[in-house]
Amino acid sequence: MNDISTWDIVRNLFDGAVWTLALSLTAFVFGGLAGLAILFARIAKHALPRRLALGYIEIFQGTPLLMQLFIIFFGGSLIGLEISPWIAAAIGLTLFTSAYLAEIWRGCVEAIPKGQWEASASLALSRFEQMRHVILPQALRIAIAPTVGFSVQVVKGTAVASIIGFVELTKTGSMLANATYQPFLVFGFVALGYFALCYPLSAYARTLERNLHGARSH
Amino acid sequence: MSYVFDFPAVFEHTDALLAGTGRTLALTAIGAVIGIALGIVGAVCRAWRLAPFDRLFAVYVELIRNTPFLVQLFFIFFGLPAIGVQMNEWQAAILAVIINLGAYSTEIIRAGIEATPKGQIEAAQSLALNRLQTFRHVVLPPALLKVWPALCSQVVIVMLGTSVCSQIAAEELTFAANFIQSRNFRAFETYFIVTAIYFLLAIGIRQLMMQIGRRLIARRP
Amino acid sequence: MALVRIDALHKHFGSNHVLKGIDLDIEEGQVIALIGRSGSGKSTLLRTINGLESFDEGCIEVDGERIHPHETDLRALRQKVGMVFQQFNLFPHLSAGQNVMLATRIVRKMPEAEARELAKAMLLKVGLQDKFDAFPDQLSGGQQQRVAIARALAMQPRVLLCDEITSALDPELVNEVLAVVKDLAAEGMTLIMVTHEMRFAREVGDKLVFMYQGRVHETGDPRDVFANPQTPELAAFIGAIQ
Repeated sequence: MNDISTWDIVRNLFDGAVWTLALSLTAFVFGGLAGLAILFARIAKHALPRRLALGYIEIFQGTPLLMQLFIIFFGGSLIGLEISPWIAAAIGLTLFTSAYLAEIWRGCVEAIPKGQWEASASLALSRFEQMRHVILPQALRIAIAPTVGFSVQVVKGTAVASIIGFVELTKTGSMLANATYQPFLVFGFVALGYFALCYPLSAYARTLERNLHGARSH
Repeated sequence: MSYVFDFPAVFEHTDALLAGTGRTLALTAIGAVIGIALGIVGAVCRAWRLAPFDRLFAVYVELIRNTPFLVQLFFIFFGLPAIGVQMNEWQAAILAVIINLGAYSTEIIRAGIEATPKGQIEAAQSLALNRLQTFRHVVLPPALLKVWPALCSQVVIVMLGTSVCSQIAAEELTFAANFIQSRNFRAFETYFIVTAIYFLLAIGIRQLMMQIGRRLIARRP
Repeated sequence: MALVRIDALHKHFGSNHVLKGIDLDIEEGQVIALIGRSGSGKSTLLRTINGLESFDEGCIEVDGERIHPHETDLRALRQKVGMVFQQFNLFPHLSAGQNVMLATRIVRKMPEAEARELAKAMLLKVGLQDKFDAFPDQLSGGQQQRVAIARALAMQPRVLLCDEITSALDPELVNEVLAVVKDLAAEGMTLIMVTHEMRFAREVGDKLVFMYQGRVHETGDPRDVFANPQTPELAAFIGAIQ
């Protein structure tokens, strides 16, 4: 067992981190698209889509990500689909991401003063046109910082996928810790790996937020 | 392929479900109380720039907020014994929850403290309150009240996150689910029911905490 | 012997010399109206008297309690000096009664029951005896300001500082606050008020202090001073506000 050098550990963890990154990007891109759809439902004129979107958001924000992954994993096999850990993790994290992003973006849309809706309505814009030309461009500006901030939660969330057997950074770490009997070193490196992925995003989100607030107060 | 759902198979293990629920709640409660207390200490150190603690808390907050809870848990449970810090799965789980929530609470409460209007502090000073009295009676209660919804959300997130403590064999709710489905071979039904329990816990904890906030901090009827 | 003595007081905000040697004696029971344009230093002067602003030279003495430049422990002074703010600054998480009781309980260490009785008496004094359990957000601006006055009075200060206490109020609420102040003056309370209510200053004030560019520019009996300003700056100021 002593033939696994520190360099081997780092190299293997790096390979795992690539999968963490791949899963994060997948979840973020597809979660963003799905989140946009849910956002539209959430702020729709009719009550039914609003309620459905609210229910969706509350369920995904009110249950553990791990349970969501288990249900997708085992639910798939119920209907005869052999779902790989990668697919289950990608679906689970996409749904999880979409719920949170929809809720974050709803907050941004609602932060736009009511006068903007009224003014654009008075110009005879349809609801979709109001969204497209007046509300979303303004909401987008304030949505960037919290969206980048949430991406950190997505990266961290991918660690849970290790539990259903997806081999990413955490799973690689667990395997290496068992193989090397050096859990302190290995999990220290794993934590550093996540920190290296997340900290720039956190710092960037903070800078964006500061700029936005600075711009607003002038 | 016509699968027949068998939810009663899950309820044959009601005792395991209840025990797991109780432990998840206990873990959350202990973590919330100590974690928020730690957050208050951290927030004071940060807001008052108490060297060197303000720097230490800043580093701590960044380390915790930028790494997954699961990795923190593994580091504590598997990593620390390697340097001589032994603990059982519950001690590790509780410690991990406290450390995790402490970091988030520090940031949340700090934001509340720093949003205190200057006039509030001047009013307290003009009434001859000292710095500690001002903090305890004038700054902290409204700050906590203001950020209480965010703290509630964070406690719920942490409660849901304790689900991964099953991975170090802490016998909480998810561990119970794993156990039950290994007995009844009804994985989907079991996880479905347990997910529903988590959902109810999330709603319940939020309600309870909002009540606590209203009663204890605002002292309003 | 004056109750409040201000001696050669200087203060700078960075390179800005805001108080340029203030000398002012205030006798017990006097009502002082501090007037002047914004930036004249009147609010800064008021705030130095209970230590919310530090000063660079000179000294302030209130009822034998002396403070020197850059002193940090001002609690003894503050127990003798009450303050009412433009923005009320009631504590939003406490009821009106709790706002009034807070300092007597934790600074004066008064027993709960006694503090409660005192708070009731103070609220009665400002005409809000039935609002003991109301929270600030349930009160009008005028009521909030009266609670703030009761809160300051509960500490039984020797002098009460009022910093534009009616400026944030809707016009129809100004009089209920001024009526309370007038009662206090009639009872012999020493008051130092920064105010824009010239009619009130003339009616209730014993001494008018006009500040101009960081100095006490002119003082005197309000009735004389208004009728007969001695300096062109005061004449201009009076002309501008009337």
